Amino acid sequence: MSHVSIILNVNGETYPLEIEPHRTLLEVLREDLALTGTKTNCLRGECGACTVLIDGQTFNACLYLAVRADGKQVTTIEGLSQGGSLHPVQEAFIREDAVQCGYCTPGMILSAKALLDHNPSPSDEEILRAMAGNLCRCTGYANIRRAIRAAVEGLEGPS
Amino acid sequence: MKEHRVVGKHLPRPDAHPRVTGELVYGADFRLPGMLYGKVLRSRAPHAKILRIDTGKARALPGVRAVLTAADIPPVLLPNTISDVPPLARDKVRYMGEPVALVAATRPEIAEQALSLIEVEYEPLPVIDDPESAMQPEALLIHENWESYAAAEGIVREGNTACHSSLHKGDPEGAFASADYVFEDRFTTHSVHQTHIEPRVAVVSVESSGHATVYSNTQLPYWIRTNVATVLGASESQVRVISTAIGGSFGAKLLPSAEHFCALLSKATGRPVHMETTMKEEFTDAYPRHPCIIEIQTAVKADGTITGRKARMILDTGAYSGSGPILASVATLVLGGPYKIPNLDLHAYAVYTNKMNFGPYRAPSGPQSNFALESHMDLVAERLGLDPLEFRLKNIVAEGDEAPNGQILEGVGLRECLEKAAAAIEWDKPAGPNRGKGLACGWWTTTGGSSGCYAKLQPDGKIVVHVGAAEIGTGAVNQGVAQVWAEIMGVDVEDIVIVAADTDTTPYDWGSQGSRTVFNLGNAALRTAEDLKAQIMQLASEMMEADPLDLEFADKAVRVRGVPQRSIPLRTLAEKSMAEKGGIIARGSYIRPKTPYDPATVRSNFYPTFNSPSFHCHAAEVEVDRITGEIKVVRYAAAHDVGFAIDPAGVEGQIQGGVAQGIGMGLMEEIIYQEGRVINPSLTDYKVPTIADVPDVDVIIVEHPNPDGPFGAKGVGESPVIEPPAALANAVHRAVGARIRDLPITPEKVLRALEAQG
Repeated sequence: MSHVSIILNVNGETYPLEIEPHRTLLEVLREDLALTGTKTNCLRGECGACTVLIDGQTFNACLYLAVRADGKQVTTIEGLSQGGSLHPVQEAFIREDAVQCGYCTPGMILSAKALLDHNPSPSDEEILRAMAGNLCRCTGYANIRRAIRAAVEGLEGPS
Repeated sequence: MKEHRVVGKHLPRPDAHPRVTGELVYGADFRLPGMLYGKVLRSRAPHAKILRIDTGKARALPGVRAVLTAADIPPVLLPNTISDVPPLARDKVRYMGEPVALVAATRPEIAEQALSLIEVEYEPLPVIDDPESAMQPEALLIHENWESYAAAEGIVREGNTACHSSLHKGDPEGAFASADYVFEDRFTTHSVHQTHIEPRVAVVSVESSGHATVYSNTQLPYWIRTNVATVLGASESQVRVISTAIGGSFGAKLLPSAEHFCALLSKATGRPVHMETTMKEEFTDAYPRHPCIIEIQTAVKADGTITGRKARMILDTGAYSGSGPILASVATLVLGGPYKIPNLDLHAYAVYTNKMNFGPYRAPSGPQSNFALESHMDLVAERLGLDPLEFRLKNIVAEGDEAPNGQILEGVGLRECLEKAAAAIEWDKPAGPNRGKGLACGWWTTTGGSSGCYAKLQPDGKIVVHVGAAEIGTGAVNQGVAQVWAEIMGVDVEDIVIVAADTDTTPYDWGSQGSRTVFNLGNAALRTAEDLKAQIMQLASEMMEADPLDLEFADKAVRVRGVPQRSIPLRTLAEKSMAEKGGIIARGSYIRPKTPYDPATVRSNFYPTFNSPSFHCHAAEVEVDRITGEIKVVRYAAAHDVGFAIDPAGVEGQIQGGVAQGIGMGLMEEIIYQEGRVINPSLTDYKVPTIADVPDVDVIIVEHPNPDGPFGAKGVGESPVIEPPAALANAVHRAVGARIRDLPITPEKVLRALEAQG
């Protein structure tokens, strides 16, 4: 199988790679770059565990060909904490007990971050719409909603 | 209630950080250098003889390192209540998806291609997909040699009925003959899947010496050890099982899925082998919930006093018996319900069919029997003209009452649960148009089984605790058990380091299952801490030349009572001990005392008591759209008597999450079988609740302590999934008069019921 040369930009770091064109971004992130924070599960875009940001938009990495990411800015969960301190959404998830097993958490956090980057004051309905593609089986979602609300209020600052 | 320093406090998860950063390595992330990739060839027929298997072309494919069939492995059957499972199908297949061959290759794609090159010739047999037909005396046998299978003593089985459990008390015939009214109803439920977000994964390395190391996201490493040793023909000490971090399990990860296959492939190839279940495999060969048929009859006086109950429950246990016998036993206790009923005749049957091996899913057999029982209770109340809440309050058990099996109940907070859950949704206030309020209550066990513990004091003052139970994500081990330790030792949760679930280095444990984790590990902690404190005290008294009776633990130190300046920090004691005495190392273990019950009441029963039982009540308010049949859950309250909430954050998490799974089972989830084939094996067609489908749950923690639990605690991990289906069914009925007796309660069923009303 022939290989294609690409340069992946993940979390601000460049990775020159020779990869087979059929491989998904999820596979390349996890197997080639050892960035296993982006999780694998259904491999059909049904569960959201593999959510990444590509140029700031959410995508299911399991349905995104790695070659298509050439030249784009990919953000994974590993890229959120800067210099040892957590992103406000990450902190909110811990504070509001929104993490049980944590396997859905990277995808949830990225979907929430993308929402708040585009819309810092979302309505409850907008939060539900943005997050409905991320399944969780442990928490029942209530604390995830609280965490996102807390992150919104954190962004808004004291009124 | 006594005020504690750490237990009972709502604390943030101490292990959340690596989960939010993506650093935590789960089973699905685990790799060993040089590992091969394993895949399973599965039966395409639901019931067939295997005439021929030809693996030649698969073996010849470049990159393939091993192809195994039943002919290549020892002719063992995996151990169980009935040992009826061959690791790979031998002469016949009994369900579509049954493992027939294994492949290991250098890349997953090559292993996948090799599967397609294995030729299997089947001779199809008639498919038995209905347990009631399977039970008939003239039915074709799914296991012709069922009598030859080793089985637990006392089991009652015949043909396709793998186990018939029964519970009989008093004089049910007399009660039914003399009752004012007898009411009968029938209900059916289908299989639902745990749908843990992380697949089941194993990476196994078998050395040339025969020693095997298994990395797996298993909830129960000691049981996996037994199974891997069985297929390898090795002794258990030659097998080491290490649980990785786990991305959800709910019972699905208790039993072997990939571990024994990887062990066989690693032994054959001399390389580590990795295997990961696909989503399609999760829906065709996993351990989801038993589909059930429940017929239930109640004998009652006109004033609403229940005098007798009969029930017949059929659990479709699939092609192999699995946990069927145990779950049939559990079902008889759930069907009796937390009610004062002196006359009982309850029967539960685990029956073979040509479907996958239904198994242990969170509170297994609980929601099915509770759906029937609590829907039936509402129907009886309605027929008698009684309010469903009042009818239940009239008949529920109280402190000191007898359970269906004769056990005496202690710590019974059921009345408080009913009253508080009902009040939370304003039970007495009529619901609006097309809205209805429904209740369901129940009881459940806190499973026993033994738990060991080692603990050592580190020179930085931290206490390292070794336990054999895995942290499955609930926080029971990393938070709940840590809170117990911090409380007893006078330190903070951050000072407790938990090392878990490695069969070589941590003691035996019956595992993170059955709502047992905090209860049993907490009690083991109490005993181990006694040993640890005694050793610390001994050293401190030597160093301070003080009588141990004058010493106390406080502020991470040992000090003379009343003379706080005479104190030695735990750190210093640890350093001194390491230098001069080999360190402070303690051990302990716990197994709960047996719960007395009346053995004459039960037959062929492998789970005869609900130990330290919990009690619960759920209340739901729904709104039904009469045009589309869609159901919106408007309000939901769940009251759980947990004895004492050691870890309130964890308890709330279990209740919120369990209710969500219960809403899924009640309203949308179903593994749909057609003649032995699953027709919806993906998350597109198997509907799981999203963030938009589950409301906030009003979590009500009730505390009626149980004398055997640490700080009075009882289990809570499973029970929140039990009551939602019945609470929702009752609410839907009270909203629009549609009584749905088959789960899930879909819009189509609601519309059909409304049409039938005219």
